[in-house]
Amino acid sequence: MRTKFSGILTLLLAFVVQIGFAQQKTISGTVTDDSGLPLPGVNVLIKNTSSGTQTDFDGNYSISANQGDVLEFSYVGFTSQEIKVGASNNISVSLKAGEALKEVIVVAYGAQEERALVGSVVSLDNEVLEKQQLTSVTSAIQGNVPGVNLITSGGQPGTNPTIRIRGVGSINASADPLIIVDGSPFNGNINAISPDQVESMNVLKDAASTALYGSRGANGVIVITTKKGSFDAPTTLTLSAVTGFSDPAVKLHNVLGAEDYMKYYWEAKRNAIMDNGADMATAGQNASNLIISELGYNPYNVATPIDANGNLVPGAKLLWDTNWENELLRKAALRKEYGMTLSGGSEKSRYFLSANYLDQEGSVKESGFERITTRLNLESKVTDWLEIGLNSSMSLSEQKFPTQSGNAYQSSIQWIYNVASIYPLYERDANGGIVRDNLGNPVYDYGSSRPVFSNENAVGSLYNYSTKYKRSNFNINGFAKVNITDYLSFKTNLSYENYLYDHFDYANSEVGYASNVNGRITQDRNITTTTNFINSLNFKKTFGDHTIGADAIFEAYEKEYDRFGAQGEGFLPDYRFLVGRTSPTDAIGYVNKERLVGYLGRLTYSYKDKYYVEGSYRRDGSTKFAKESRWGDFFSVGGGWIISEENFLKNNSTINFLKLRASYGELGNNNILDSNLNELYFPYLQAYEVGYPNGSNIGVYLGGAANPRLSWEKTALTSAALEFGLFDNRIDGTIEYYNKKSIDLIYNQPTAPSTGYEEITTNVGSLRNYGWEFSVNTLNIDSENFKWRTGLNFSLDNNEITELTQQSFINGTKRWEEGKSLYDFYMQEWAGVNPDNGNAQWNQYYHDANNNGQVDVGEGIFDLEEWKYNNPTLANQVSQTTTENYEDATKKYVDGSSLPDIIGGFSTSFEYKNFDLSALFNFSFGAKVYDNSYASLMSGLQRAGFQGSTDLENRWQQPGDITNVPRLLAAQNQSNSRSTRFLYDNDYIRLKALTLGYNLPIDAIEDIGLSKVRVYLRGDNLWTYQTHDGIDPEQSISGVTDSRSSILRTISFGINIQL
Amino acid sequence: MKNYIYKIAIAATLGLSFVACSDDFLDDPKPSDVVSEDVVFATRGGAETFMSGIIRNTRGQYVANAHDAGGLNSIYYARTVKGNDIIQAPTWFLSDYAHENREANYRRTSFTWRFSYEIINQLNVFIEGVENSQLSEEDKNNLKGQGLAMRAFYYFQLALEFQHTYTYDSSLPTLPIYKKTNEDAKDLSTMQEVYDFIIDDLTTAIPLLDESRLDKSYINVNVANAILARVYQTTHNWQGVEAAANAAYGGSPSAVLAPSTYASGFNDMSNTEWIWGLAQYSDQSNYYYGAPAAQADHQNPSYNGTYINANFVNKFSNSDVRKLFATKGTAGTWQEFVTTKFTFTFDADVALIRTPEMILAEAEAINRQGGRDTEAQNLLFAVQSSRDPNAVASGNTGDALLDEILLERRKELYGEMGVEWFDAKRYRKGITRDSNHRVVVDLTPDDVKFILKIPQVEIDSNDNFDASVNANK
Repeated sequence: MRTKFSGILTLLLAFVVQIGFAQQKTISGTVTDDSGLPLPGVNVLIKNTSSGTQTDFDGNYSISANQGDVLEFSYVGFTSQEIKVGASNNISVSLKAGEALKEVIVVAYGAQEERALVGSVVSLDNEVLEKQQLTSVTSAIQGNVPGVNLITSGGQPGTNPTIRIRGVGSINASADPLIIVDGSPFNGNINAISPDQVESMNVLKDAASTALYGSRGANGVIVITTKKGSFDAPTTLTLSAVTGFSDPAVKLHNVLGAEDYMKYYWEAKRNAIMDNGADMATAGQNASNLIISELGYNPYNVATPIDANGNLVPGAKLLWDTNWENELLRKAALRKEYGMTLSGGSEKSRYFLSANYLDQEGSVKESGFERITTRLNLESKVTDWLEIGLNSSMSLSEQKFPTQSGNAYQSSIQWIYNVASIYPLYERDANGGIVRDNLGNPVYDYGSSRPVFSNENAVGSLYNYSTKYKRSNFNINGFAKVNITDYLSFKTNLSYENYLYDHFDYANSEVGYASNVNGRITQDRNITTTTNFINSLNFKKTFGDHTIGADAIFEAYEKEYDRFGAQGEGFLPDYRFLVGRTSPTDAIGYVNKERLVGYLGRLTYSYKDKYYVEGSYRRDGSTKFAKESRWGDFFSVGGGWIISEENFLKNNSTINFLKLRASYGELGNNNILDSNLNELYFPYLQAYEVGYPNGSNIGVYLGGAANPRLSWEKTALTSAALEFGLFDNRIDGTIEYYNKKSIDLIYNQPTAPSTGYEEITTNVGSLRNYGWEFSVNTLNIDSENFKWRTGLNFSLDNNEITELTQQSFINGTKRWEEGKSLYDFYMQEWAGVNPDNGNAQWNQYYHDANNNGQVDVGEGIFDLEEWKYNNPTLANQVSQTTTENYEDATKKYVDGSSLPDIIGGFSTSFEYKNFDLSALFNFSFGAKVYDNSYASLMSGLQRAGFQGSTDLENRWQQPGDITNVPRLLAAQNQSNSRSTRFLYDNDYIRLKALTLGYNLPIDAIEDIGLSKVRVYLRGDNLWTYQTHDGIDPEQSISGVTDSRSSILRTISFGINIQL
Repeated sequence: MKNYIYKIAIAATLGLSFVACSDDFLDDPKPSDVVSEDVVFATRGGAETFMSGIIRNTRGQYVANAHDAGGLNSIYYARTVKGNDIIQAPTWFLSDYAHENREANYRRTSFTWRFSYEIINQLNVFIEGVENSQLSEEDKNNLKGQGLAMRAFYYFQLALEFQHTYTYDSSLPTLPIYKKTNEDAKDLSTMQEVYDFIIDDLTTAIPLLDESRLDKSYINVNVANAILARVYQTTHNWQGVEAAANAAYGGSPSAVLAPSTYASGFNDMSNTEWIWGLAQYSDQSNYYYGAPAAQADHQNPSYNGTYINANFVNKFSNSDVRKLFATKGTAGTWQEFVTTKFTFTFDADVALIRTPEMILAEAEAINRQGGRDTEAQNLLFAVQSSRDPNAVASGNTGDALLDEILLERRKELYGEMGVEWFDAKRYRKGITRDSNHRVVVDLTPDDVKFILKIPQVEIDSNDNFDASVNANK
């Protein structure tokens, strides 16, 4: 009864109020900017209602309103204004340009005004993305975001870059950032997202910005928001087309031609025979007689082409001289991309529809990537209290991926660097003529007597093998938002992703590595499904000068990995479907599941839009850990102070904007990887693994040791920054310091292999990454017809091992010990060539115990740091000499790291009337790279048939020669063993993108119904400066080469039409 | 107002309904590709799956992308290329061939150590699991016998590689010994302790075993005896060798020699002569890790790594079924001869121990005990006449007979188990290479090149010793 009464009373009251103010009248006026120019298209809305209008082309509007209503004037890029309707019927306003500093940007579980951010977020909008040819959208981060080390993944299109945000804080857990698309974690391949459908890509770097992702935020977060259309916007159709050609961005190392190779190999052989005691003349003659038999092939038309003095015999002519690089790599790879988007919106709804097709060839012949993506995003305000939206996308791609890196025989780049040009591409008959098959096609030479990579031909393998990846990605992401009051809302968000990955691998039945079983097909078809469910209650209210926000969020996440694969052998020639096999040889299938539950909360408080405080907390439970240790608590606190709002800076003519912000927080990582970088679902379990049958007997095998109490890896991140805007904000920038301590690393702690376990997965060890980040953007010239902007950003990043379970150990080219970085090179020091005998030399350190000035038995030091550790009192009594015996050379720190001292980017853009020109450079200085490929080319031809570098021309030839290249020697030797000989400075600057565009004048295209036509010419990776030639400077974080194909240089022409 | 309450109600219901059940939600996912210990040791069949899995892992691809470090066969073949009879081309195993693959951080060193100890630990888990199970005594005994004999075998491989031979100085620190799983890293035991342990395992195992087994890749009493014979050959316990070798092949040479199969490719373990083998199947293959066949076969596409020293070829009479050589390269070069003894296919089994080796071991043991050389000659001739119809019985005695037996071992076993290396090491002789070798490096008696250093990974993580452990290696 009481309720009913109060209900009636409320109604009555409302009625009275309604009558009291129901004096509607027409208000009109003009909206201008602060220089008095009229602003068309400004939204004029009666506050808390849905009635509104827009200003016309001259900035005029008229609207029916009641006295006492509040009119809101809002326009993108300007500060909104509210004016109460009074007695006057005319309200004209002048809007102040707010520009970037008032922008709202997407952050964890929501959006915030950039001004209010207490965390470190770099936002790349679609304008930045449009300035580059992107196949994987995340490539755009390189050179645009300080503090991010990005390594492009070579010349195979559709492979994604390696991204490390603020260093590497994990060893056995993934160091990849979390990727969020439209609010939900993305588990597909990032190449499924077409960059033209992306509105913004935000890189979240510090604790305050990532803490809400809690257990998954430690490596930073990349938040991708797709385009949505706009309310109250006309329908816009945009068509775009880009076509271009690519070639490798840098040249490979130069290799020997056939004639030089034969002469050099003769010399190498002669030297080897002389080492066995023969005199030079005899050795020369023997070498002349022997080399053809050793090389297995004779590219000349005479039986003994090289005489006893190493010269070509008269009349000798080359029958072939194979340039493997030309046969394997494309000189002009085609790239085509077409896109269509349709977007717009009414007062209540907005929509975005897009389709994009990409077809890109890679640098290795037969490699390529083809993709179709479509996306439909819809959003509607159903009532004044309910909003519903749906984002959906579908992406299909096929990647042709012939083996091009690594050490499989057919691997393209390795082949170029290993197989001498004296070996023919096609099979030859006794007279050197090309052998043809029944159809008249030349037959690839598989070289059963070729001493290098016998029974394989990398060029043939491009056609006789096939490696393909098909991916399809379906994504549905819907939300409903209930506005309970104007300060309290509830939002529920459900997303589902289905990612199908099909890996097809065919090996020929006639030739190559599976020919002895008549071919093999291996096919995997794995499905990853991700379901994510977020419920949030959001509160935000202003009380006078105080604004308080609170969010309570619950998240549930499930990822299911459904593995299925089969293998069969025995196929008809060139038959490429599994069904045709004689015997199935393998089948695999299982399902793994991961789940995560999170409870999140965020509190924000601001005072006078000047002081900001924010705290976040998240409690996560993960199925990756046992029940007792699965829950982790993560949090952050942050604060911001807009100093320029203080009286002493307000209206300062130089400093327009100054903000100090700082944050601290603790985050986690549960993404544990095995040695093949596959995700582990139950890393805390030691159990018997199935799948080891022995004949017809089932077999199980006990898996690796793990700590059953394994738990979260934790990272504590401190960050502080100063943001500034100077001279009417013509210059703005940020200086930031970060310190990232990762503790309780999920680490495969080495154990003595004699115990049967080489490692145990546990929480131990810690790393520290710290550094400075700078960015500054300037508007240098800003006139009506000409604008010139520049941007520079860079970071100085450092890495330090702060806790290790062992005193030290050697990990490849590095030595890990507390106080050093993961990336300090540790190897033998090259000491040049002995001018007397042409032998390679290295530095040997020794402890001259008996002070006789020479190295006696037991005095040599193999590992300098280890020795110093074991002999602390003798550390300063170490002498140095050189040795020709590699085994005696001393390993030591060699003053170099694969981590650059400084990485960054520089951008500049010009706009002149309808023309625009923009350029983006990225650079890296101070890193070193160990060039395995070059080491192999400089082996002094010790292995018959293996290719050599043209730099062998500088080899030592006779006593007294001063050179850095040892003598050639066709016998086992250590001259190219790992040492500083092949450790190079790896500084580079790359012109990553250059675009020249022209917008056709409006009056020329209006008549044919178009609103915008833009044509442009673009170059990607056009120019590279590098201190070490022959390899792409982007190799790997660890600074060791792996026969990678070079990234592509692309020149393209594009057109965008909008109607 | 009502509307307001209604909206909150919807929101709260939606939100809370999912919060409540989070524990169940997290308990649900279970691994799908493993089984628990209870299942494994519940039945004899279960325990046998574990033994099968262990054996499977002795014939796999232990080190990724290193085709010279796959399984037990890689250890055997690395020994093979260290002799004079075989010349290895510059492909996989080239540094073993050059006697360089022995430094603390090199692959041979770390592979042999890590692989063997991993298998040993699995066997320790196996033995403990069987002992603690509810299986019948009979089943327990047989399973335990397999585990003990195989554990002894792997300790023996380690003892052969990581120190001088037993007769050099049995007090030298050699290996850490683990009799149980999950023990802390241990210090090196002496060679004497290691061999005592090995012999104890084998002599415990033999009475527990009979001739039955799942197939020839598993251990039965013959295999255990054969391993013991090799161990006693190393410790020079000749009486022990005689008894164990005889028990291994059964005592009747003619029953266990099948000369007609010698030329059929050495790829099928059902062969009467095979006592123990590593199986391969087309669907369970180690592929190109399959040395020796993957190295030695020059007919089928593979590595073409193995060449035969011409001087060794000349030691065979033309009527010898084992003279399986073909000319490949120019006369006088190291590429002149290859062998057709091994046929490489992905399902080519690998011989681990064969009867003729045991017959010759028995002959050697009798010769070494002295006074019964006629018996030794007869055993030797049993092998020789089986291989060569024109063979003439030896009239040698004493050391000359021994030399003849050792030569016969090389001719019989080339390419299989590293016979030259094994014999040279245990007799403390060197290995001198002929000048036609690709890399001429000679080993002096007791040369350190016979020894692999203790791996750096062990030194780094075992607190019981430091790098000085390799001081005299």
